[in-house]
Amino acid sequence: MKKLLIFGLAAAFVLPAWALDNNIKMPVNLDRLAARATESVDVTLDASMLELASKFLSQDDPDQAHVKKLVSKLKGVYVRSFEFDKEGQYSMSDVESLRRQLKAPEWSRIVGVRSLKGENSEVYLQKNGSKIGGLFVIAAEPKELTIVHIDGPIDPEELSQLGGHMGIPKIGVKHESAKSAGKDQE
Amino acid sequence: MAISATQKGIAEVRSDAAPPFADVVEIHKSMVFSIAWHFLRDRALSEELAQDVFLELHRHWAAMKSSEHIVFWLRKVTCNRCIDVVRRRKLRRETSLEESPEPAMLERVQDPLLSAYLQRMVASLPEKQRLLVVLRYQEGMEPEEIARMLNMNASTVKTQISRALELLRAKTAQRLKTQREAEA
Amino acid sequence: MSEFERQLVRALERREPPAGFTSRVLAAASQQPAPSRGQSWRWAFVLRAAPVMAALLVVAGGALYQNYERIERGEAAKQQLLLAVKIAGAKLYDAQQRVVSIGAIRGAGTEEEQ
Repeated sequence: MKKLLIFGLAAAFVLPAWALDNNIKMPVNLDRLAARATESVDVTLDASMLELASKFLSQDDPDQAHVKKLVSKLKGVYVRSFEFDKEGQYSMSDVESLRRQLKAPEWSRIVGVRSLKGENSEVYLQKNGSKIGGLFVIAAEPKELTIVHIDGPIDPEELSQLGGHMGIPKIGVKHESAKSAGKDQE
Repeated sequence: MAISATQKGIAEVRSDAAPPFADVVEIHKSMVFSIAWHFLRDRALSEELAQDVFLELHRHWAAMKSSEHIVFWLRKVTCNRCIDVVRRRKLRRETSLEESPEPAMLERVQDPLLSAYLQRMVASLPEKQRLLVVLRYQEGMEPEEIARMLNMNASTVKTQISRALELLRAKTAQRLKTQREAEA
Repeated sequence: MSEFERQLVRALERREPPAGFTSRVLAAASQQPAPSRGQSWRWAFVLRAAPVMAALLVVAGGALYQNYERIERGEAAKQQLLLAVKIAGAKLYDAQQRVVSIGAIRGAGTEEEQ
């Protein structure tokens, strides 16, 4: 984990934190959250780094082969994730500047779910003609904030096919939480 | 929460130390043997070559850095050994696919399996094209990967594969046409 | 990939070596000197060749170090990519799970009204 953080922070020094890709500018204030987080993940992979990473993916491993196919046409993958030991360490205004950039007609929100427990999920797709040009996920929970930006043609269905592998639960499998979600509402 | 589970999974993802040598042989024996088999079309020779490759891996075991490095190394050395065998023993006169005669009529009628025919046709390609086709379609390697492994230019790899495919397609089309005529 | 290429993939499927291959390899390997970083050194030869080898090492070392660095960077990038994909997949799953559960609640509500 430390190696990943050091690598990620080094990448952040090379590129200004507010301009990590062509389209979306990550808010500078997100860097402050890392100082408050107990765990944080910072992944910045532009096209050249994706190409390099892809070369080291194993064809013999079905999951890695699937990832290789998934990222073959991407221009960038960016993840910021923060885990805190108590609530109230961030506010939604920290991500408001992100939301302002994810506007129609270029972006459309396909999922927007809020719960009384403070678990919010938003998924945006970037349109590129009739195709998808990018994916953006904002997942906010009381003690956790995750932002994912995948720049380039991505098929969310293909990403979901990793379900059941790599520690990702399989989509479509019923969970007990569905029954207890009676208190949740949009 | 999922992300904690994901972060715990980092240990699995990053835990990529080279497995024991015996496991490596068991995991990769079909890869090494198959590259040799599709190149040489000689079962005994392919087994001998595959065994030599693993023995050489055993001698260089200390230099292996990761599972991926092992796969890269095995493929590269197997390819080099295949070329060496053909050149050293002159197993077959190297003919271009255009020159290779059509299979005999009897063989065509008795061998309806296109796969077996394609295997033979691949094995009659010039050495380099043969290797490229095997690496591309048996191993599923991208042209850029192949180029890196064989120290070739990526566009040359793509051109050579395209040419080999054209030849194979032409021969296969001819074969199917002849078979239909034979069945008619 | 074209249909012909798919046929090629099927034709070039991997096949298993003859039975007992692994045990034969391991038996042969056990006859070889055990792989180790140390070999028996011929010290006299080493001393004579040392200046030349030192010069060669300086030149080769630079290239090797660059290659080693590239492998290190590539491996690190790969791990980052796999982590990012895991996180993205997990968060998409969470979002979908919440949508599904809302749909289940609304569906149950509709049935009750009927």
